[in-house]
Amino acid sequence: MLELRELVKHYPAVGGEPVRAVDGVSLHVAPGEMVALYGPSGSGKTTLLLMIATLLEPTAGAVLIGDRDVSSLSEREASRFRLTELGFIRQNFDLLPGVSAIDNAILKLLKSMRWADAQREITPLLERLGLEQRLRHRAETLSMGERQRVMIARALSTKPRLLLADEPTGSLDTQRGREVLELLQSLCREQHVAVVLVSHDPMAALYADRVFALRDGRLSDHETDQLHAPGQLPLSG
Amino acid sequence: MKLSNALRLYRVRLRARLVQECFAVLGIAAGVALLFASQVSNASLQSSVAQLSRGIVGNATLQLLARDPHGFPASTLRQVRALPGVRVAAPLLESGANAIGPRGSESVQLVGADASLKRLGGVLVRRTELAPFGDIGAVVLPAPLAHTIGVTKFGQDVTLQLGGYTVTAPLYSQLYKRQIGPLIASPVAIAPLSFVQELTHLHARVSRILVQPAAGAQAQVRTALDTLAAGRLNVEPADYDEQLFAKASAANNQSTALFSVISALVGFLFAFNAMLLTVPQRRRLIADLRRDGYTPRTVIAVLMLDAVALGVVGCALGLALGEELSIHLFHSDPAFLSLAFAIGSERAVSWQTIAIATGGGMLAASVAVLSPLRDILSRDPLAAINPREGFGSARAGSRRALAGLVCLIGATAILLATPQAAIPGMVLLVAALLLELPLALSATLALVRRLARMITSATPHVAAMELSAARARAIAIAATGAIAVFGSVAIHGAHDDLLTGLDRAAADTNAFTDVWVSPAGSYNLLKTAPFAPRQQAELERLPGVRAVGLYRSGLLDYGARRVLVIAPPRRAIPLLPTAQLVRGDARQATARVRAGGWLVLSQALADEHHLHIGQAFTLPTPAPSTFRLAALSNNLGWAPGAIMMNADDYARAWGSTDASAYNVLLTPGVAPIQGVRAIEHALGPDSGLAVQSADRHAGEQRALSRVALARLSQIATLILLVAVLAMAAAMGAMVWQRRPRLAKLKLEGLPRAELWRTILLESVLLLCVGCLTGASFGLYGQQLADRALVSVVNFPVVYSVTALNALESLVLVVGAALALLALPSYFAASVPAALALED
Repeated sequence: MLELRELVKHYPAVGGEPVRAVDGVSLHVAPGEMVALYGPSGSGKTTLLLMIATLLEPTAGAVLIGDRDVSSLSEREASRFRLTELGFIRQNFDLLPGVSAIDNAILKLLKSMRWADAQREITPLLERLGLEQRLRHRAETLSMGERQRVMIARALSTKPRLLLADEPTGSLDTQRGREVLELLQSLCREQHVAVVLVSHDPMAALYADRVFALRDGRLSDHETDQLHAPGQLPLSG
Repeated sequence: MKLSNALRLYRVRLRARLVQECFAVLGIAAGVALLFASQVSNASLQSSVAQLSRGIVGNATLQLLARDPHGFPASTLRQVRALPGVRVAAPLLESGANAIGPRGSESVQLVGADASLKRLGGVLVRRTELAPFGDIGAVVLPAPLAHTIGVTKFGQDVTLQLGGYTVTAPLYSQLYKRQIGPLIASPVAIAPLSFVQELTHLHARVSRILVQPAAGAQAQVRTALDTLAAGRLNVEPADYDEQLFAKASAANNQSTALFSVISALVGFLFAFNAMLLTVPQRRRLIADLRRDGYTPRTVIAVLMLDAVALGVVGCALGLALGEELSIHLFHSDPAFLSLAFAIGSERAVSWQTIAIATGGGMLAASVAVLSPLRDILSRDPLAAINPREGFGSARAGSRRALAGLVCLIGATAILLATPQAAIPGMVLLVAALLLELPLALSATLALVRRLARMITSATPHVAAMELSAARARAIAIAATGAIAVFGSVAIHGAHDDLLTGLDRAAADTNAFTDVWVSPAGSYNLLKTAPFAPRQQAELERLPGVRAVGLYRSGLLDYGARRVLVIAPPRRAIPLLPTAQLVRGDARQATARVRAGGWLVLSQALADEHHLHIGQAFTLPTPAPSTFRLAALSNNLGWAPGAIMMNADDYARAWGSTDASAYNVLLTPGVAPIQGVRAIEHALGPDSGLAVQSADRHAGEQRALSRVALARLSQIATLILLVAVLAMAAAMGAMVWQRRPRLAKLKLEGLPRAELWRTILLESVLLLCVGCLTGASFGLYGQQLADRALVSVVNFPVVYSVTALNALESLVLVVGAALALLALPSYFAASVPAALALED
């Protein structure tokens, strides 16, 4: 489903060698598979996500979604791709204050369907996420975990083929973090969504099918069965 | 905290929000400028009259005043000087004149005085030679006036048109600013008393005697003067003209003051909008300082430093801008008031004007900076950043809407019951407008959401969501437009209704003649300098002339008002402008006035003197006469009030057969222009009389009305201009500040075009909500202003609901603000989506 082929991103540096933010990363993520990426600050995680999300053009290599290379789409095509084929979850909840949970969740659907249809479409997902009692509550009245679940609903609302999650549990306590990861794992499997999860949270590795470490722009494999408990991840930063 | 540390802290914070602070400074400057310029404009007229009056009367405190332009015998001076307690008595003979030179003409007040006037110490005559200049009559002119008409050399002739005569007088000297100070701009010509008596054909007569009593003898002298006046002359304070002018210009000044306050409010909202941009930082600062142990007092002191810095820069800029506005835009044109008062063109900038404008600016800055005062004073040090029930809560919304309704009910009560309290009524309306605006915004957003459900597009949903999310700022921006459009619609509406009324009054007061023949002069329209009607028979013999009537008119000081008296020929048809009557039977009133002994009074005058229709009363005319009240009218466009009677009654009451104009009726089929040419030819070039068709005469009246009301139009236009800039700037800043959020929407896949459309839709919604609400309240304000003009000043207002004007203002503000906003919003929509990942 997602295939990164020898992906490279170099930034020019004044009077020196270019910075190799991402240096020849290759990766394949199958539908319904969850891949976790660990790495210290400056390891190239964000750059990698930006390139996958068509927000940054790679210096070399390709980002394939199915058979299509999305690394050099036009702005309009890239927007269309992010709207329909990509879901993005972040640590900071990008919810609009003063707006209800359900209206925040249907944001991406509004482009292609009427408001009532969009609400009908999203309601089962929000219920599945345990928000059935909070649909009409305004964003600022929701707990952190609820807000993150609204973000997950928004990200999955268009039934994307690929989901990028950047520190999705960063603002949550352990219990809420675990719940969110469980939900992500089960939903992605049910909907056959490929997931790339970037995190510092050791617990994320427990839910990922494969775990990779990113150091100095290069990717290295780690078998999930090597990880026994949270806190034992050798590469967690 | 030490002041030096507070200053350093301010400097550091300023660097981080320089653009927003600049917006705030501009907002305060705009408010201060409008407030200052309109105050200067108002004060200049009043000051000009006061300066001229004081420049002549000097230390005199009383005056004996003629009731008509013919004055009274100069021999009275001896009697006044003989009164016990009189220290100085100085005679004056004043007459309105038209001064003509090779470069142009100017209406002036010709002042004749003798050397005794100098003893009163008035600035205008202190250094002027008032003895006859070697037995040759000559005049002295202020230098700018002399320059305007082109008479600047010693001995050069200035032509004077006065009382139906044309005479010439040589120039003796010019008066310069070093001699007479601010009086340099006064429209005055000074000459020895005997010479003016000769010019005006008023031999051995004076129009007033100025009296300076000895110390402690004021009451004694006043009583003696009253006895001497014997009810045929007026005994008044020396500053009587100032008092009369204050009354005459009160309506105009009040409306200007009210609308300058509205314009200042727009400026304040501009500043407030800009301040909202920095509210998160300011709240964070409050929380940080409180958490670190600083007391609320210190926090307030730190924030007040912000207010002082903003206020000082904003006020300085505003005063400079206001100075330019008052010079180049807000001219103090006295227009028709000049027919009753000598008014110059000098600008007067008093310390009070500066203090009011600066105080307003500093207050605006302080209120804006200290808006989170409740959080500063809270026991919870982090109250400023902790969420609490606030602006958007349903309870607060209901309370606001209820308070708004109460204000609206108050304004309605004023409109219906006490329209004279128009200013508090307007303040209540503004308060109601601001309080109901959140409700209007909520209703609009609900409507948009409902409509948006019917279409497949993210644009309206996202726009509605974004506006809900930034509600406080959205309301602040909408409020700017609302107040501006409210002011503009109310001002323009009342202005147009008044103009329509004045136009109709002008048409009505010209309906009884085809041609006017009256003394020349720019303000000699309804009231003119009287002249001996020697040419009546000659004019009646002209071919094409059916009849020539004598029209009389003048000003009468009645109580605290200088009233306009209009007296058409007894046989004039229509004798009375029946459309201008507000009470009484028009046919009966016309018959009674035609029969004589009856008159029509404007309602405010009748109310002031407690008179009712049918009642007999004595009018303080030169020959005090008893009249009965036939009907009540509006003021015919003359703010202090008007009286209408027939010309024969006027002659009896004034003790003179002089006329103010000939009313010429033409034979049917003769075009007015033919009649005008024939009469001009018959009179010759030196008659001192101007010939005008009734249409042209009415046209000049209309033009004068427009000049007098021009300042209101200027203020209304400026308010709109400031509002457009304020809203465009505030929305532009808001959009720019929202770039990270736009980037997040882009991250979700919303393309640039969609985002741009969303921003523009948000702007249209905000502008429309603000402007539509403002326009609706503006129409209400127009009715309030109309009612006040009718009931308080008796102006001939024609009520209307100028929805078209309101729509024009709305389209103008929305269109202009959108045009200004289009480009910045396009750039904001072009924000890279990657920006969303940078936080």
